[in-house]
Amino acid sequence: MSKKRVLVIDDSATVRMYHRSVLEAAGYEVSEAINGIEALEKALAVQEPFDLYIVDINMPKMDGYSFLRQLRQQPIPQVPAIVVSTESKTHDKAQAYEAGANFYLVKPIRPDDLVAYVCLLIGQGGHQ
Amino acid sequence: MAIVKQRQASPISQDERRHIRDLTGLIEQLSDPNPIARRWAARDMANYPDSVSALAGQLDRETNGTVREAILTTLMLIGNTDAVSALVRCLRSEDAALRNDAIEVMKNMPDAVSMIIRDLLRDPDPDVRIFAVNILESLRHPDVQKWLIEVISNDKDINVCSTAVDLLAEVGTEDALSALEALKGRFSEEPYIAFSVDVALKRIKDNG
Repeated sequence: MSKKRVLVIDDSATVRMYHRSVLEAAGYEVSEAINGIEALEKALAVQEPFDLYIVDINMPKMDGYSFLRQLRQQPIPQVPAIVVSTESKTHDKAQAYEAGANFYLVKPIRPDDLVAYVCLLIGQGGHQ
Repeated sequence: MAIVKQRQASPISQDERRHIRDLTGLIEQLSDPNPIARRWAARDMANYPDSVSALAGQLDRETNGTVREAILTTLMLIGNTDAVSALVRCLRSEDAALRNDAIEVMKNMPDAVSMIIRDLLRDPDPDVRIFAVNILESLRHPDVQKWLIEVISNDKDINVCSTAVDLLAEVGTEDALSALEALKGRFSEEPYIAFSVDVALKRIKDNG
């Protein structure tokens, strides 16, 4: 069996690098997208679906809520999504869950916490 | 499959612009049930700086993406204090798409935004301060680095600082190095700050 595959969607290159370094160290395979449009294209194009999406909210072209809403309407296997945002207001969380998120985490997220949430949703990384 | 932004499929009818194009007529058409008429009204209001309050009011109600885009573009073209205030109000919206559209528009208004950016960077709401840093991303203004250094030197919110660090990694020069090092000390318990500052320091040194 291959590694569990995570798509990190964030317009910040540094955030993508950070998530990649944390998750790859934990044995996950990581792909990146810089906004919701690119993420949707990747989600629909890949032959082997991703196991999890980690989604930022505020991104140009297509925000994280719109991405999740559109993703959840696609005829593809529906997998979990974690929203990771700087915004901590109640309505932000409510919108994320409404759009189809499984967890809402407020940045900055500590490496151990990120891995713990990912593991909770899709199991441990690495070869099985 | 490529995701294409939704557009009106029907051709633009001449009827939609047949009405009177003075400000009173345009304000009336801005609430027309037909989105094409609303879009034309919004576009033509760029010639009327006094139309800002009507545009801002419609922005609160508008559900059609292309009309909203036209309103935001017109506010950018008008570019006066009232127009900028209307855009700032969008930054406080619960609608993420509207916030992001407003940020993109404000990136193209360096002169107008430079007059208010310090206030935005000191706004009580950290989300607004983050959006202000986002606006700086492509704002062609000579003081961008200076403003970012002020943010990472003074702001107490870790996410505001980390957003500024991300941008300094792209636009920063050696003038930012000591402030970046100091930030790492200020948030010494935060792994993301350590990571992002190291990325920024490396990029700045590599580019220098």
